[in-house]
Amino acid sequence: MMTPRKLAMKALRYTLIGVLVVLAGFPVYWMAATALNVNSQLYGTGQVAWPQLQHLPDLVTELGNVPIGRWLFNTLLIASGGTILSLTLGALAGYALSRFKFHGRGLVGFLLFMTQVVPEALILVPLYAMFITFGLLNSLTGLILANVGFSLPVACFVLKGAMDAVPYEIEESAIIDNCPRFSVLTMIILPLIMPSIAAAAVVAFFAGWNEFLFASTFLMDNSLWPASVGLASFVGQYETPMSAVLGAALVFSLPAIVFFLLIQRKIVAGLTAGAVKG
Amino acid sequence: MPALTFKNVSKTFGDNTVIDAFSADIHDGEFLVLLGPSGCGKSTLLRMIAGLSDITSGDLLFDGSVANDWEPKQRGVAFVFQTYALYPHMTVRENIAFPLIMDAFRKWYHLPIVNIVARHRLMKRADIAERTLSIARQLELEPLLDRRPASLSGGQRQRVALARALVRNPALYLLDEPLSNLDAKLRTQMRSEISALHHKVGKTFVYVTHDQVEAMTMATRIIVMNKGIVQQVDTPDEIYDHPANTFVARFVGSPPMNLIPASVRNNALQLSGRLAVEHAAPLPPRRELTFGVRPEKLTLHPAGEGRLPAQVAVVERLGAETVIGCRLMTGEENKDQRLLEHDLVFVRVSGNPKIKIGELCSLDYQADDVLWFDIDNGDRIFLDQE
Repeated sequence: MMTPRKLAMKALRYTLIGVLVVLAGFPVYWMAATALNVNSQLYGTGQVAWPQLQHLPDLVTELGNVPIGRWLFNTLLIASGGTILSLTLGALAGYALSRFKFHGRGLVGFLLFMTQVVPEALILVPLYAMFITFGLLNSLTGLILANVGFSLPVACFVLKGAMDAVPYEIEESAIIDNCPRFSVLTMIILPLIMPSIAAAAVVAFFAGWNEFLFASTFLMDNSLWPASVGLASFVGQYETPMSAVLGAALVFSLPAIVFFLLIQRKIVAGLTAGAVKG
Repeated sequence: MPALTFKNVSKTFGDNTVIDAFSADIHDGEFLVLLGPSGCGKSTLLRMIAGLSDITSGDLLFDGSVANDWEPKQRGVAFVFQTYALYPHMTVRENIAFPLIMDAFRKWYHLPIVNIVARHRLMKRADIAERTLSIARQLELEPLLDRRPASLSGGQRQRVALARALVRNPALYLLDEPLSNLDAKLRTQMRSEISALHHKVGKTFVYVTHDQVEAMTMATRIIVMNKGIVQQVDTPDEIYDHPANTFVARFVGSPPMNLIPASVRNNALQLSGRLAVEHAAPLPPRRELTFGVRPEKLTLHPAGEGRLPAQVAVVERLGAETVIGCRLMTGEENKDQRLLEHDLVFVRVSGNPKIKIGELCSLDYQADDVLWFDIDNGDRIFLDQE
């Protein structure tokens, strides 16, 4: 039987959660409501606050006029390519930093940290010049590499921290059991730090998913554009079709939401891992 | 089994010498225990045998070949860690089979993703599955095969670690304080199980512990170490009955050997400064020395009947026997009321005598049971060598 005090606390907790859900969910709802309104209403005072489903066929027709599927695919390619590359290199570098003592280990850590201090906009011009030299301009490969430059250090730090917490004995036990170093990493260490891998994957994936600055600078061909640049291209000189912009934004958000839902349990485990003695 | 020889092996970490010129032979089929307090270098020594720690100087020989730079896999040893070091993401079956699977792996099986497929396929291979099952049965782990280590008790985890060591049938087993995380009852049980296992497999075991009871009950030979230096290498009986120095005398035995400062003046013995004792045997020709006698070699008498007048300070009733800590009546006993082990003389008597703290009593001994030690360096003094 709950005491009135406990009941009040529970009610307060649920109210707070409700407020937070509304605050977080309202932009998504407003995106859907705006996408299913007509432009004339959006630029006037008559926007309806709820989605008008009768406008769905118009929205589909309007989005059909742009290569939205292609842009989405490019975004997926940039995000997943960057994630895979960041995690692979981050795991190897993190393992080396965590387990081996070598001259310059501290310096490597410092330089990795420094990459997070430099703003993207600052290196845009030098990077542009480099991309011309290496023939990476107007290519998704170049864009993935540019993104990895920023997400790799984060992945490396996250994975190194997780590897530091794995007892040496487990690794030594595998070595005694005739397991080579590389397999120690892939078969023993990595499965043990899955939550941290998931957390690093989210960081790297969303860095690629939200990519705009490099993409809008380095990619000229609109068939290579990611969704973010494609969305920006809706903005016209005289008119911006707001319902189409937000409709496309809604479509672009869905894979990211699905990705996050799939991985969220592991992330929460990762964030709390090591907080208590296991 | 490879004959294992240490030749002046030393290990230093910076300026800190952990092992200093260690030399010893490990014989085929023996149960050798490395015994010493924490930080004496015994685990480092074990890790050097396994190839997990480098040797700073000296040679470690496997069958006469210098093995200082050999990879762990070349040495063919099994290692049981203090923390068990089980793979938490694998089931008991996978943990036990892991060394066999690694032996069966081809080079390209180690590629990422390929290794997952290869591991699953090899787990089903008849010889690996049978061997895993047979070891699991031997250690009564069969009902636990599909569970993960997190759901096992300490004793069960310990058995899984042993099973993983046994499965490859290595020539040399290295065990690093494997029982230290278990409760007292389980430790006693596992002690017997490991001893039985040694008899069954007949291979060489090198076992590290700081627990002298484990060493005395399991070992065929003990190496007692302190601060990286070997103090004594001998059988458990010899180490107990004839310790090489006061460190060994104090470290082995519970309660430890009674070590009392003594002086000899005009062929008369005085203990603890002022207590004159009639010693019915020749005395070492030294002025100052240490008198040592095991607690069970002392006898307890009513006051005035023994040669050493004493007062009871501590009584530990253990059921079948009682350990009594006494303060010798030297005339200065009231000045010092400490109950430290060093200040008391312990006597072990069978049964449960009716004796109270503060009661006056006396102790006696046989001259043959007394061991003499150098008061400065603690080394044993042999009367016939003097």
